[in-house]
Amino acid sequence: MARGTVTVLLFGPARETAGTGRLVVDVPDPGLAARALVDELARRYPKLARTLAVSRLVRNGRYLSRLTERVRPGDEVAVHPPYGGG
Amino acid sequence: MSASIRLTTRPLSGAAAQRALEGPGVGGVVIFAGRVRPDPTPAGRVVALVYDVHGPLALARLRAIAGIAERRFGARRVVLWHRSGRLKVGEISVIVGAACPHRDPAFRAARYLIEELKASVPIWKAERARPARRRRPRRARSAARSAG
Repeated sequence: MARGTVTVLLFGPARETAGTGRLVVDVPDPGLAARALVDELARRYPKLARTLAVSRLVRNGRYLSRLTERVRPGDEVAVHPPYGGG
Repeated sequence: MSASIRLTTRPLSGAAAQRALEGPGVGGVVIFAGRVRPDPTPAGRVVALVYDVHGPLALARLRAIAGIAERRFGARRVVLWHRSGRLKVGEISVIVGAACPHRDPAFRAARYLIEELKASVPIWKAERARPARRRRPRRARSAARSAG
């Protein structure tokens, strides 16, 4: 099966926990559910699991409303923990 | 309506915000500035905050908030400025301001701007703390003096 990559951007506490703000994740060519991408991030960084559970995902600049939505090769997915500006 | 929106690593100025809010038809100007506090934490006292910003999305949301302030409160001018990067205690991290024909909508608009910014703009802060120095027991101090 052909594969591609998704760029994952981590912000705030997610960046602090992972120690990086940018990851590249291999995905199958037809893509996968966002839930599977979250699971892969938690597998790589077990300490990130709690932050991921309360984060929103942004795919190519648009918020995902459900984790069943697909992420495809070439996409950029940002992990947004709860906001805390000010 | 004129909106000044800024995400920057450079220091913010209240005087500059006041200038940005000047204009015809403006009878009430309310400016809020937030500063880094030296709060106590389990790791020690806060000495700095590091702000992380998702730039493109943050700018888009700030523009949307400014538009809502215009429609809901009749704001003629709006300032939405936020720092990014590392800020020491006492530095200004955020300035919001609203200029309206009258004071009541100006207060309400400024309140809306800061609350909405905190709740819905992709900005995060991380505390950097310095552990408090432990005081040596009195006996150890006097022993050290006598040793010198």
